Amino acid sequence: MSFLQILLQLAGGVGYTIMVTVACSLTGVVVGLGVAMLSRIGPPWLRGLLGAFTFIFRAVPVLVLLFIVFFGLPNAGLRVPPLVAMMLSLGVIAGAYLAEVFRGAFDSVDASEVLAAEAMGLSRFQILRLIEIPQMLRFAVPGMINEFTTVLKYSPFAYTVGIPDVMKEAMSLSATTLRGVEIYLAVGIIYFLIYKLLVTGVWALEKRTRIPGLTG
Amino acid sequence: MTLLSVQDLKLEYDGRIILDGVSFDLAQGELKVIMGPSGSGKSTLLRCLNRLATPTGGRVVFEGRDVLGPGVDERALRQRIGFVFQNFALYRHLTALQNVTLALRHLRRMPAAEADERALRQLARMDMQAHAHKYPAQLSGGQKQRVAIARALAMDPAVLFFDEPTSALDPLMSREVVNILHQLRDERVSMLCVTHDLYLARAAGGRVMFLDEGRIHAEGEVDELFGPNADPRVRAFFHQELRQAQTAQPIDAAQPMDQAQPAGPSGPAGLAER
Amino acid sequence: MASFLALMLEYWPQVLSGLGNTLLLAAVISVTGLAGGVVVFYLAISGGPLRRRLTEGYISFFIGTPLIVLLFLMYYGLPQWGLKLTPFTVAVIGFTLNVAAYNARYLMTAFRGLDPDELQAARAQGFSDLQVFQLVILPQVMRLSVPALTNQVILNLKDSSIAFLIQYAEFFAQMQDLAIRSFRFLDAYLVAGAVYLALVSVVVVAARWLERRYVLPGVRRAR
Repeated sequence: MSFLQILLQLAGGVGYTIMVTVACSLTGVVVGLGVAMLSRIGPPWLRGLLGAFTFIFRAVPVLVLLFIVFFGLPNAGLRVPPLVAMMLSLGVIAGAYLAEVFRGAFDSVDASEVLAAEAMGLSRFQILRLIEIPQMLRFAVPGMINEFTTVLKYSPFAYTVGIPDVMKEAMSLSATTLRGVEIYLAVGIIYFLIYKLLVTGVWALEKRTRIPGLTG
Repeated sequence: MTLLSVQDLKLEYDGRIILDGVSFDLAQGELKVIMGPSGSGKSTLLRCLNRLATPTGGRVVFEGRDVLGPGVDERALRQRIGFVFQNFALYRHLTALQNVTLALRHLRRMPAAEADERALRQLARMDMQAHAHKYPAQLSGGQKQRVAIARALAMDPAVLFFDEPTSALDPLMSREVVNILHQLRDERVSMLCVTHDLYLARAAGGRVMFLDEGRIHAEGEVDELFGPNADPRVRAFFHQELRQAQTAQPIDAAQPMDQAQPAGPSGPAGLAER
Repeated sequence: MASFLALMLEYWPQVLSGLGNTLLLAAVISVTGLAGGVVVFYLAISGGPLRRRLTEGYISFFIGTPLIVLLFLMYYGLPQWGLKLTPFTVAVIGFTLNVAAYNARYLMTAFRGLDPDELQAARAQGFSDLQVFQLVILPQVMRLSVPALTNQVILNLKDSSIAFLIQYAEFFAQMQDLAIRSFRFLDAYLVAGAVYLALVSVVVVAARWLERRYVLPGVRRAR
């Protein structure tokens, strides 16, 4: 079996790897946006609660949270499908990190523009939607790329809950062919290519929506 | 006809008195300048009038309605008042045109085409139609100012508030601002302008009030206020501003004259020293 | 939960040894990862363009590929070539290569913020390149990077749980063992999560102290 054949064999799992990465990244963006928005416009007690949320989910290892959700929750009568378990663990943790990224990016929005929007008669929610979020997201691009990369790199944990991603393919292939070194080398190259694709893709998107004078 | 009436307005914050009983009226179509040193409470005064700040006492009647009472629709009030900020506060992620259409689209719920057409008219009024599709970062200070004014005018406000319109501009651009104020005054736009810029206060050509330490100490036509019988506080402010303008002079020889016209016999300096 | 805690008490030595192994691994890779990071950083900023490209490629590759792949390569792959390493050795090598890449990147970011005139001045005084690195660059860059470097220590502590997947008998592996023994998965993993939370909190407090102590006055912090 040539190295190329190994690569082709493993490529079968790429779809799942990308699916897990995208699903968890989107979960992260939704959770992170929700947390950052609520702590920007919510009452102080809620801010404290959200601060505790981000601290806890940034302190617990992904693997531990994944096992809590996938293997632990059935003890409480709650059975969670593998992909959802990944989203509730890796995705929510990414959300806690992204909430911090978004919080910092929100702080880069000029306070005088927010005041001007208030003086115009826009509601708090309109200001958030029309002024703060569009600017904040642009400031947050580098931080988001970092976090999406991290999600990609933790995505192989999906094999532990039975998702047939690249890692899972590699493990079964390695068990039958006993050529672990080449196989895992190939896996490394595949992840690196996905990583490059991801980073290039996000920057291309950023470039298309770039506005003079507004970069992160 | 009185458009805006301010009666004994007070604001205390953190034990400090910011506004100490300010009263004045603004008539329909009038341009009034509130002049005073920084920290005199003039920006806060403007913010009290559209409820961006909350006064602790007094009355504000705008278009016949009490503005400070309970049950006032703050957002509806603000839509009647165009506010031009010191640093322009253009939305950096929106083009000049989008800055102007934002309120039309999201507060008036106007269809895009209609909002664009109306915004372009306002930009044209400010001679900015050629720059409609540029972002704030691509505009000069004076151009940003014009867009900010067009943005405020687009909602057909009953009055326009200017907060230090010249402080972020070089002297040449300050003259432009005066021209714009004159243009709008000729169009019968009611305006309230807050500034510490002597040149602007003088050249604007409206009634001028002198605000210091939260109180109005003098009010009158420009020449009365700057004339020989001026209030001692006005004189003190005057001298201080002039000194600053003069010491700033050698550093940038290209812009000596405009800020306060220190040397010109017809300028405020001449009047003050007489 | 109460009965699970009783079970934990019964297997206390096992839990404790797991905790010890977690802390040992986290401590070792934090030190080797920092040393490795400094070496990679030095290689990246000294020498010709070829070496710079190679080190940048190294950093990029290890930041772009999952650590678990490297660990599996060494732990499950190398024995097929007749080279059998212990889980601890595999973990230390794998983590060090990975963490060094991250630390080097933080140091590079801080380095870009340094005043070039200052380096010129040091060279003009007659210092050698290595001396400039040791005496001028490294002390500043390290201090500027304190927040990023301490954050990496927290990541090391959390990520050491990955070593459980290559049979290293660290804390999470022991909790997994107890979970299977008792069939109280939820309890076991929740306790594990709480322990990591407590450990990370301790590191966070220590990191705050370190930041206050070592951040240079008047020097902007690297983000």
